[in-house]
Amino acid sequence: MDDDENLFDQDVPIFSAVSSSARQLYSLLRCIGFADKANVQISDEGLRFSVDETSVMEGFVFLDKSLFTTYAYRAPPASSHTHDSNHSQGSDDEDSSNPTFQISLPSLLETLQIFGLTDQQSTSRAPWSHSTYQTATATAFAPNTIGFNNLCRLYYSTLGAPLTVILTESTIRTTCDLTTYEPQYIEDIPFSRQSIVLKIIMRASWLFDAVTELASTNPEHLTLIAREVKGRSIFALAASGPLGSATVQFNKNPSSTSTSTSYQNTRHTSTVPDDHQPPDPHLLETFQLSYPHSTLRYTYKFSLIQKAARAMAVATKVSVRGDDQGVLSLQFMIEGEGGNVSFVEFHFVPLAKEEHEDGYEEEGDGQDRMHIPHNMHALPLRFHIHFVSQATKPASKAAEYPAI
Amino acid sequence: MRFKASIQNISTFTKLTASLNSLGPLAWVKLSEEQVCFTIIPEQGTQVWAVLSIDTIFETYTIQSAAQNIINLEVPLNSLNRALKSALNATSAQIRLTKKDNIPLLALTIVTTSSTSSRGAFPPGGNNYEDGFETSTFDSGFGQSRETVITQEVPVRVLSPDLVAGLHEPQCREPDVHIILPPLMQLKSISDRFTKLALAGGKSASGTTASHRTRLEMAANMHGCLKMSIRTDAMSISSVWTDLSNPELDPSQVAGGEIGIAEHPSTRMKQLGSADGRSEEGWAMVRIDGRDWGKVMSVGRLGGRVIACFCHEHALILYVYLPNENGEEESVLTYYVSSYSA
Repeated sequence: MDDDENLFDQDVPIFSAVSSSARQLYSLLRCIGFADKANVQISDEGLRFSVDETSVMEGFVFLDKSLFTTYAYRAPPASSHTHDSNHSQGSDDEDSSNPTFQISLPSLLETLQIFGLTDQQSTSRAPWSHSTYQTATATAFAPNTIGFNNLCRLYYSTLGAPLTVILTESTIRTTCDLTTYEPQYIEDIPFSRQSIVLKIIMRASWLFDAVTELASTNPEHLTLIAREVKGRSIFALAASGPLGSATVQFNKNPSSTSTSTSYQNTRHTSTVPDDHQPPDPHLLETFQLSYPHSTLRYTYKFSLIQKAARAMAVATKVSVRGDDQGVLSLQFMIEGEGGNVSFVEFHFVPLAKEEHEDGYEEEGDGQDRMHIPHNMHALPLRFHIHFVSQATKPASKAAEYPAI
Repeated sequence: MRFKASIQNISTFTKLTASLNSLGPLAWVKLSEEQVCFTIIPEQGTQVWAVLSIDTIFETYTIQSAAQNIINLEVPLNSLNRALKSALNATSAQIRLTKKDNIPLLALTIVTTSSTSSRGAFPPGGNNYEDGFETSTFDSGFGQSRETVITQEVPVRVLSPDLVAGLHEPQCREPDVHIILPPLMQLKSISDRFTKLALAGGKSASGTTASHRTRLEMAANMHGCLKMSIRTDAMSISSVWTDLSNPELDPSQVAGGEIGIAEHPSTRMKQLGSADGRSEEGWAMVRIDGRDWGKVMSVGRLGGRVIACFCHEHALILYVYLPNENGEEESVLTYYVSSYSA
């Protein structure tokens, strides 16, 4: 860092990093690939990509500097004159001086995908390819053989310059200059970490399965329901739409084992491989409610939750958190190549509650709805599907979930 | 007017018609005693002038006509390609020019042999019948194998010599850069992605759908580099290939011999640019339509060496040399891609 002080000239770029796996960057960024534009913030720790959807949903991907083989960041001088007098260390700069800009996310994703295209061509060599081409790449010192292949370099020279992505593969070098736009400053969705009322950690694939299952009824809303009944934790996702309603219920039942039902076994095979530890007998790894005796019930727009499906599919674990305002945070843990862990997070604003409906319900009221048949206790995952015909659809929302 | 030949290389002929068909629906086929020419001149886009030696696709070739034994036909490529596809597993295939109800036809007679081990599984006279195709089956009588003869008819138009007299191959000045292209399928996969990128970029740029066409910039230098780039509001991207080869010119083929080569534009271009492709100098560049380029690249399925000749900001000419069995590359497909102005 001291050297940087001496080299305080324009030639040193603000940011330069090399990754040996564009594929990994791609698989992380694809989780938020639903947006056209992404805000990028470069800092000492890594790159933060954020997207938002009509200010009611946000997605973040943090590319930690550990994902890169080299990572060099030099904060730009906030305003060169004031900083000249007191040579403070570069790392002491406040966050606001970290460069933030907006880029076209589909362009970045497509560029990262160019990688490996030629790889495929060479591995599954087409039968019609002419023999003269093979001799060109198959020598002992070919970049493929030595391992200089698959390099992805990110580069941002000065404020306002394009973000450059350089992909090198054998004798092909692809350079992409992404135009950087002024960031759109949208106020972050206020998620209050101090007043979390719900925290659940579970396998992301189970959440993915549940959301995929519920999507089949083409619902408008997704209601998250959590409570504890007699020491048993209950977490359910209920979807309602014009065609009817469906509920997926996850039960944390300490007495149940992984072999309790065949259904759960099939669940395990569909999850991300996790060979070094036996399958968790408990569906919900963590289940914490601040007010365990009342039912927590928040509703979100289903189509927005569905946008996080890509992350649900690739992540190992998800932390579902809700604050006292009903803002939902889904934090996904994604295991990458070489065992490093990255996080992708989404925030959702809840739909306004209807008339007298409250986030919490009275004890007595909940008791009736959360009645669970005794023979179902061993089942950790249950599906309730109610098809409501348009004519007989009950007016009250609560009546749509009679089984809960 | 007589034309009859047996097709010796059905798969090459099928691939050829398929890749020509992507550029235009009709081909002018000129059959002569020495060679077979396929020419596609679409209303806009790339022209193809293919000259094939007879034995690239045919053998036992007979041709007769009043006009110096030359026959000019207009052939619908789609029908011809479909007919050839049904001949892919044939033991032999013949093509001849014939007439039916006063309509000239190219009749394709395809003989396939199927073993009779499956005699019990399939009823005799199988379901080889297709709409509009004459099918007749013969039993060999020995019960060992069954021969099926399929005749496919492709209606064509006979072109008079006067009609084609006015068609000439495009004339082009000497190219600035000539280079052997990397495998076309690799080039195509990247150019297709570029085209997709341009469309994605155009969509997000506040709905400006003015430029439906995606302008791809292709450039090459005399130091083994090929550059492909595309530019949109949101991004600009370019891929550079290095370590390609620039073939030496043959003095016997260049006007003026050794002196001609010394004065050739490519000799001057050799003085400029660098082998790492980072220099701004020494590039000969053309602007082409991304989608049209994708169609041209479909000739990659035929294999073969491709030499690209760049006339800076004017045209790109591709010579696709088809590999022959005897190792001589006598058949060449010439693609004329003209450059858009900026």
